Amino acid sequence: MAGSLKAPSPPRWLLAELTYACPLQCPYCSNPLDYANFKDELSTDDWKRVLKQSRDMGAVQLGFSGGEPLVRKDLVELVDYSHELGYYTNLITSGYNMDEAKIIELKEAGLDHIQISLQASSKELNDFIASTESFDHKKVVAKLIKKHGYPMVLCVVLHRQNIHQMKDILEMAIELGADFVELANTQYYGWAHHNRDQLMPTQEQLQKAEAIANEYQASQKGKMKIYYIVPDFFEGRPKACMNGWGTTFLTIAPDGLALPCHSARQLPNFDCPSVRDHSISEIWNESKAFNYFRGDDWMQEPCRSCPEKDKDFGGCHCQAFLLTGDATNADPVCDLSPQHHLVTEAINQAAATPMEKPMVFRNSKNSKVF
Amino acid sequence: MSLLTDQALHLAAGYRLQWEEAQNMFVLLYPEGLIELNQSSAEILQVCDGANKLADIVQTLETKFETTGLENDITNFLNTALDNGWLTQST
Repeated sequence: MAGSLKAPSPPRWLLAELTYACPLQCPYCSNPLDYANFKDELSTDDWKRVLKQSRDMGAVQLGFSGGEPLVRKDLVELVDYSHELGYYTNLITSGYNMDEAKIIELKEAGLDHIQISLQASSKELNDFIASTESFDHKKVVAKLIKKHGYPMVLCVVLHRQNIHQMKDILEMAIELGADFVELANTQYYGWAHHNRDQLMPTQEQLQKAEAIANEYQASQKGKMKIYYIVPDFFEGRPKACMNGWGTTFLTIAPDGLALPCHSARQLPNFDCPSVRDHSISEIWNESKAFNYFRGDDWMQEPCRSCPEKDKDFGGCHCQAFLLTGDATNADPVCDLSPQHHLVTEAINQAAATPMEKPMVFRNSKNSKVF
Repeated sequence: MSLLTDQALHLAAGYRLQWEEAQNMFVLLYPEGLIELNQSSAEILQVCDGANKLADIVQTLETKFETTGLENDITNFLNTALDNGWLTQST
């Protein structure tokens, strides 16, 4: 497919997924279901090349993510190098296996910010969702992050099993001294797609949660910034995927695959390029995958003639693929999509699913089945 | 949060102002976020260094650009920046 006529805007955001290894087993993990097949991780030198080339193109926000990035032995070295290049460095971590010495070492290397995730506001539920005893340790780590002067984002992924804890989660965020709180309803890709029936909240749960979020947003104004992200299944209009495909975000997967969004590996016939074979500039400017959804030549109806197409760019292509089998369809969360009934049916199906139905947790044993 | 004229302004903790050669502009960086700044916003933020109060900022920029009457625009911008949490004032 031909790219757009004008040169694409440069990448501003680089997400470095250093590893798929993770001590936690959250059943909504955004890593691919078959992550256990991708064992050949990039070397330290590979990452340095990626960091340098991306920075030269204009990337300035950098997220170290995974899996659990702390698993990588060269994390401090990569943070140090990135800081030297002028990135704003973000560590996106579960906090598991973090200790004070590491927090200090990372600070000295120039790490700008730490995002720590908790799975719930109670030990019992947190440790169940993570399938790993981690709650008490995470809270200790969160306090150490603040003690050493980092800005801290506390991230809690919301779903049917923990959304009723909204008030307690926000009180916990205040107690831990979070500067930002990200309360993100589960997006249904990867493991979350597989466990969707057990994770999807009810409309009633969402309304209650949103009211509490609004109340705390008002009372915490100027102290703690609260981002509450509504699940798009209930929105009627799709989100503007990745701020526009290939306009802003570049994800590099642990094995070196370059992805326009972190779920794009699953899209068929995309031939996502690898940083082992191509420079970042070739990948960003010339690859089929990054050019695929640039502009609107690719659009079908109802997107093509829609007055909102420049606002949401047709929504999320991975979601269109997962639900309809064709990534060039309108994102079916849009109520103008002829396949919007798939979303309504998914909501109804989830509502009819008993809470007791077991979820498939994210681990290597389960991954090998896919 | 509204602007206190008797207190100096500085970037909030975790925020960083940086010139980006590739984009040919200043950007404001913060946890997981990035704001691309127009020239006037960048000029104002550059003098919010923890020593300057409103009057100093106005004077510095009016001198630099050989003009007068910037106080209203600067005040409006500073209030927005304080509201967004980009800036704080020493107490």
